[in-house]
Amino acid sequence: MFWLTWRQHRAQMLVTASFLLALGALLLGSAIEAAVYAAAHAPPGCPGPSVACAEVGAGLSARYQAVYSLYGWMPLLAPALIGAFWGAPLLGREYERGTHLLAWTQSVSPARWLAVKLGVLGGAVALGGLALSAMATAWRASFPDSVAGTWFGNLGVFNMVGVVPAAWWAFAFATGAAAGAFLRRTLPAMAVTVAVVAAAVFGLFSLSDHYAEPARTVTTDRAAVFARDSRLLREAWVAPSGAETEAVPMTVCPSPPDAGRSGRNAEARERCLFQAGYRLAVYHHPPERFWRFQWIEAGILLAASAVLGAAAVARTLRR
Amino acid sequence: MIPALEATGLGRRYGRAWALRDCSLSVPAGRVAALVGPNGAGKTTLLHLAVGLLSPTAGSVRVFGETGRRDRVAFLAQDKPLYDGFTVAETLRFGRGLNPSWDDGFARERLAALGIPLRGKTGALSGGQRAQVALTVALAKRPRLLVLDEPLANLDPLARHAVMRGLMEAVAETGLSVLLSSHVVSDLEHTCDWLVVLNGGRVQVSGAVDDLLEGHRLLTGPAEEADAVAARLPVVARDRAGRRETLLARAGDPVLGPAWASAPVSLDDLVMAYLREPEAAALPRPALAR
Repeated sequence: MFWLTWRQHRAQMLVTASFLLALGALLLGSAIEAAVYAAAHAPPGCPGPSVACAEVGAGLSARYQAVYSLYGWMPLLAPALIGAFWGAPLLGREYERGTHLLAWTQSVSPARWLAVKLGVLGGAVALGGLALSAMATAWRASFPDSVAGTWFGNLGVFNMVGVVPAAWWAFAFATGAAAGAFLRRTLPAMAVTVAVVAAAVFGLFSLSDHYAEPARTVTTDRAAVFARDSRLLREAWVAPSGAETEAVPMTVCPSPPDAGRSGRNAEARERCLFQAGYRLAVYHHPPERFWRFQWIEAGILLAASAVLGAAAVARTLRR
Repeated sequence: MIPALEATGLGRRYGRAWALRDCSLSVPAGRVAALVGPNGAGKTTLLHLAVGLLSPTAGSVRVFGETGRRDRVAFLAQDKPLYDGFTVAETLRFGRGLNPSWDDGFARERLAALGIPLRGKTGALSGGQRAQVALTVALAKRPRLLVLDEPLANLDPLARHAVMRGLMEAVAETGLSVLLSSHVVSDLEHTCDWLVVLNGGRVQVSGAVDDLLEGHRLLTGPAEEADAVAARLPVVARDRAGRRETLLARAGDPVLGPAWASAPVSLDDLVMAYLREPEAAALPRPALAR
């Protein structure tokens, strides 16, 4: 059975492994190049407040962004590909070619056939997701915090580090397997898988703000909250009475609207409001919630994977 | 003796339509049984139930007295599915990995004798070679019952002959029981010794071919006397041509008037007669079942 699983799915395994290796080489090259650049250009005392330090920071940032603009697609692209090429053909191709009649009339029972395939391939997919996460983490850690200090506040980054990528890959694989079991055709199963994975990615992106009750910080210094890699949800004004309002009446601290992109008048009005006793209430998720959110998201995805996997098994074994 | 295949009240429904209904039959061990019937008669459903690809909606089906023994029954599906990307050698490795009873020496010898190279991809084989590889995979599992769904369909006459001969050799060597479906009766005339006729999801005929041929006669005589003969004998089918009428009767060699001629039936005549008359049936009484 293990040989059969390898023989039937080695193309996907080899392509995925090559892809991970190529990506790893790119990230390693990027990290080394950035380290060489920093060593060559940064004067002693960096990171620090000097102009030279800021220039090196900008150079590193450009290097980081160049790779990130490509890498940032991974949370969507990688699961979609895994679902379409690992999951959908698993059963869809067997039904389409009629080979399920060959495979499931051998001495090994269809239940065992399916258990080995789902177990081995699902495990390999989860390991692949973990490898992707480990590489992203190592690469990002090679840049200074001023460039790549956000792990939690940015949803794109949050979804490419920790355990979440592995859960996404497993979920996509289970989606593909279930689509193949029900549609019994490879190509329609691939299409449905990509659609479901894309919908789930955007669905969970918007749902993730609700994984916990947001923290409420009342402050006059918004930048301090920003600087902490928090995930900002919304702001409100707190009147001196303690009541919260979305917008302060223009009778308090009147100010003409800003023309163009300058926020100078708005900033002046904020300072005026702070002096008048108003405070900002910032609703946010602090970065300490990183692992809590990681496990909540992974839990949702793994539960969905289990449901989809069970549906695929039930559909396949119902004869 | 335990029958190779025994179905009791077997039925399978898809949604609200019964593909097979109230099917009871017994095929003795050591037979090469032919399952014939028109398209849509339920042949494939019965075979899939026999090998465990389907589970019955009603009744039960047993292979050598047991259900769920996947190691004892081998199946060659219609269109001979094989993994097209596999080489022949890899196809054998597939069989070896999934069957503890696999006889690799037998499989290699059989393919070598047929001149089928192990290195070629199965997708590049000719129809006849593909059928032989699929048959080899089924036989090397060393089953006690081999079930084949339309094994001769889409094969040229030479390949049909070669596949049938390979099958008969395996039967002679191992005492394997065989159940194969076909809608071409002439293919089965000299190879099968048990006949099952399935029509409209029901079993119409089940019995030893020799007994069935001996037990039926073609009676030809004057049309005006035909009703009287039909009243005396169980007649399966009647065919009037001008002033003479031919009756296919379930009887030995009856004594009739001098105007009547009695001739033995061919398997083809017999099957066609039953298929045209879905209400007729020739099923062994319990005492006759062997």
